[in-house]
Amino acid sequence: MNRRKFLRNTVPVAVTMPALLNGFSFTAHGAETSSLARLLEQTATDTDHVFVLIQLAGGNDGLNMVIPLDVYGNYYNARTNVAIPQSQVLRLDGTDKSGLHPAMTALQNMYNEGKAAIIQSVGYENPSFSHFRDTDVWNSGDTRRNRSERVKTGWMGRYLENEFPGYPEAYPDTEMPDPLAIQISNVPTLTVQGSIYSMGLSITNPEKIYTFANPFSDYPLNSAPANKELKFLRVISEKTKIYSDIIRAAYRRAATMAAYPTENSLAEQLKIVARLIKGGLKTRVYTVTIGGFDTHKRQVNASDTTTGQHAKLMKDLSAGISAFQQDLELMDLDDRVMGMTFSEFGRRIKSNASLGTDHGAAAPLIMFGTHAKKGILGNSPDIPADIQVVNNIPFQYDFRSVYASVLEQWFCVKQPALNEILLQNYQALPLVQGGPCGLPEEPDDTNNNSDKLILKMWPNPYTVSATIQFSTTGGHTMIQQIDALGRVIKVLTNQDYTAGTYNIDIYNDNFASGVYFLRLQNQSLQKVISIMKIQ
Amino acid sequence: MDRREFFKRTRSDKSQRTMFAGLAPYTGSWTVNEVTHLLKRTMFGARKADIDYFLTLSPAAAVDELLDNIVAPAPPVRDYGLMGDDSGALHDDLGVALGQTWVNDPNMLSNPEIRGLINYYRRESLKKWWAGLIINQNRSIQEKMVLFWHHHFSVQEEEVGNTQFLWRHHNLLRSNVLGNVKSITREVCIDPAMLVHLNGYLNSRQAPDENFARELQELFTIGKGNDSQYTEDDVIAAARVLTGWRILNDPLSSFLDTSAHDMGAKTFTAFYNNTTIAGSTDPNAELDALMNMIFGTTEAARFICRKLYKWFVYYNIDAAAEADVIIPMAAALQSNNYDIKPALSLLFKSEHFFDTVNQACYIKSPFDMIMGTLREFNVSFPAYTNYTTGYPLFYSLYQSAADMQQQLFQPPDVSGWPSYYQEPMHYELWVNSNSLPKRADFTDALVNDSVIDVRAFANYSSNPADPNQLISDITALLLRYPLSANSKAYVKRNFLLNNTTDDTIWTNAWNTNNNTVIDSSLKEMFKFLMNLPEYHLC
Repeated sequence: MNRRKFLRNTVPVAVTMPALLNGFSFTAHGAETSSLARLLEQTATDTDHVFVLIQLAGGNDGLNMVIPLDVYGNYYNARTNVAIPQSQVLRLDGTDKSGLHPAMTALQNMYNEGKAAIIQSVGYENPSFSHFRDTDVWNSGDTRRNRSERVKTGWMGRYLENEFPGYPEAYPDTEMPDPLAIQISNVPTLTVQGSIYSMGLSITNPEKIYTFANPFSDYPLNSAPANKELKFLRVISEKTKIYSDIIRAAYRRAATMAAYPTENSLAEQLKIVARLIKGGLKTRVYTVTIGGFDTHKRQVNASDTTTGQHAKLMKDLSAGISAFQQDLELMDLDDRVMGMTFSEFGRRIKSNASLGTDHGAAAPLIMFGTHAKKGILGNSPDIPADIQVVNNIPFQYDFRSVYASVLEQWFCVKQPALNEILLQNYQALPLVQGGPCGLPEEPDDTNNNSDKLILKMWPNPYTVSATIQFSTTGGHTMIQQIDALGRVIKVLTNQDYTAGTYNIDIYNDNFASGVYFLRLQNQSLQKVISIMKIQ
Repeated sequence: MDRREFFKRTRSDKSQRTMFAGLAPYTGSWTVNEVTHLLKRTMFGARKADIDYFLTLSPAAAVDELLDNIVAPAPPVRDYGLMGDDSGALHDDLGVALGQTWVNDPNMLSNPEIRGLINYYRRESLKKWWAGLIINQNRSIQEKMVLFWHHHFSVQEEEVGNTQFLWRHHNLLRSNVLGNVKSITREVCIDPAMLVHLNGYLNSRQAPDENFARELQELFTIGKGNDSQYTEDDVIAAARVLTGWRILNDPLSSFLDTSAHDMGAKTFTAFYNNTTIAGSTDPNAELDALMNMIFGTTEAARFICRKLYKWFVYYNIDAAAEADVIIPMAAALQSNNYDIKPALSLLFKSEHFFDTVNQACYIKSPFDMIMGTLREFNVSFPAYTNYTTGYPLFYSLYQSAADMQQQLFQPPDVSGWPSYYQEPMHYELWVNSNSLPKRADFTDALVNDSVIDVRAFANYSSNPADPNQLISDITALLLRYPLSANSKAYVKRNFLLNNTTDDTIWTNAWNTNNNTVIDSSLKEMFKFLMNLPEYHLC
């Protein structure tokens, strides 16, 4: 059944929609029922694009994955016992600012061939340093602290539900004969959670056969909770049967073409993903997970910091992605597939005494695929010379900007759907090259055009008052003040400007003395500087 | 009627009788339905014999027995023989003899090359022993509560490694299973396994490690509910209170290394009434002060009650359940200085617990599925102490549950199993396209391999020769969610009447003891019933 038929076959829109889209805060964003109906009247976007999400569970130490060579002295000083020696950092074509962990030679090659990109310091305004909350934040795309206010859906779940309303009950149909999303995991995650059902299927064995027993459809009990759970079980049982047959058939139609590394759980999962794509599934989203990143202790071997637990993870990540890319190229599918890594947080700048690092804030992420826009987006993080335990990396890019860009530039999602899915508007970043959605290419920041923006403050350090000077290329411009933990504590300006240079005075802000950051965001450009307040 | 309407009704109806309508004592009927509800929630499965037994008691007496019947088991024993090293030479575990417990032996006597193997085999024997205790459980809430504490204070073997530590940790939970929340938490703070699991043993005044202090508040005591207002400063202050706790290996214990302890005053935020804990070299002083401060908040009592509610009743706690159940239950917990039994007693004896709205809405965990099915079909197992024939069987139970995503000593992370906290799906996370086929394979195999005696189960019926009575009786025992008359007719026609409507086909087969027909019919029917979505509810 297609989307229009689905709408026609159900009770009037005004009655159906709140339940169907439970979790969306439409009124908060000014959308009326009418625009919602208009939104849903569109048929699903015609795209054969696939996106692969690689979750690095536990909090990846981004500073040891992408090593800041331009502030290497401060980097080394902050984490002497875990720092990667400068001479061993893998160099990347066209930049002296950053390099990769020595175990990532495969990814280094991909980068140099223009098939991988790095986005620096991705995060958000109020990191909590909690695995569970921050994982929820990344998966949901909602940073609100208060749990009851946060959406209970995932960002990809909202995208897929928007494209295929009525899933799973109204599917499969001719328009979407396959699972919307496949998670290579034992349990579904929040990423693909829709308003009621998960938009994804969890599998660990694509050849599994399920015999199905579910002939009954009545609900003898007059109990809402029991009926809710029974209905859930019936739908899952029925769809498991249907989709496990579809997945098994696709898996058997295809064969692996590249050599994958062994003893690498990520590679094993990606190998399944490639085979399923090759087998002809129209599934748009795949998620895979690699764990072990919570490296509080023994992240490196004391004898050689380029070896140890984190090095093994970096190698698995790099070799797994690289084998996957080769497989897709041999299958002639690489034009259709992109992916990215993410982790609930980065780790603390300063290492601890146990050869490890504690929970941190922003971190770099990797985009990969033939259509990934080559380069490093953004600057190396600011690492204070006088490092304190509390110092964290403030975000340069909001993670939802990354999501928005993926949806808009890879899945060709248009407004107003884009804002509905991500709950508000986020700046676009240049992530996809080749313009598959017919969008004009974003200004290229990979050569760090952000450096051309002016952002300075005097006096710095300041006591009571100071003046901030900034430039803008015009349009939406925002300056945020961020504390040492990486949290936004004040928005100094947030409005449209005409191109030019401006001053803002701050006076008596009542903040405690210590290190702060100013973050300037102007369209797709941003710049972060550190400032200090003293008494 | 939805849940909210139900609560509205109870509150207004009962407002004359009590302040807390939700927890008013249950005085309704006491039939197979209510007893089965109580047993399936507080134990693993409801056996026919247990249902019959508890039917003879009052609801209150039944709950008292479940809560009072706590027995300390004999510890796990060595079940492994000689072990080969890399060169193939065989070595013995010189610390303990076969069949003797290893829990007091620090594994220091045997050849150093095989101590790792000994540690491994001991850990596997610990899991077998625990699975053996669950399958052999008494008429008691004990095993379900031990598993609750494991979910609550989740430690993972992958992180802890040392089997002696894991045993000590497990024994701590087991010894306090229906004890005092505050004292069990206090002991967990300085428990060697937890000191390793969340890096407490590395936490020093020179390099404070916040890992444990954060989870202590977020996962173990206060939570992240809307009334939880502790801050990053409280995490840092609590980490400083706990600096310097170190592990002593022999005898296994923990102690405060005052040279690594932060002697400064630790000041907390307004959420904790701006409490200041003065630095002290007395190992008890600061820890006790921290516990008094944390458990002095009402949020601490409410948090653990919410967790218990989600474990035993349902995952959705709406405003009415919070007001009428959680808040008074937490008040009982606080007024009993955090003794857990009075609060649980209040819950299980309440109208709320037995209300139909809370029945049949719980999705079985893998342990409910595996242990419950085997127990309900009365599959007999050796005693939990039997390490020769018992331990291998218990190991297969442990492995089946692990395969379905509930692995003893290895919950997915420090927050336990997501089915009891991850919104919005909660229990629904147990059932997906990956686990459902595994559950079906498990119950199919029990029937196909004749592990369960379908004929014996049919004989639980008051009149198994009558296909209507048979189906009515066995579905009442097996399924908490009832089948409609039409559905029962479908089952009868398909499995007992050879696709006809002639009841005498089954009656004749039963009365003439036609084994071929009876066994094949019953086997197919039981497989079908255990594959039904209804079977996953309890």
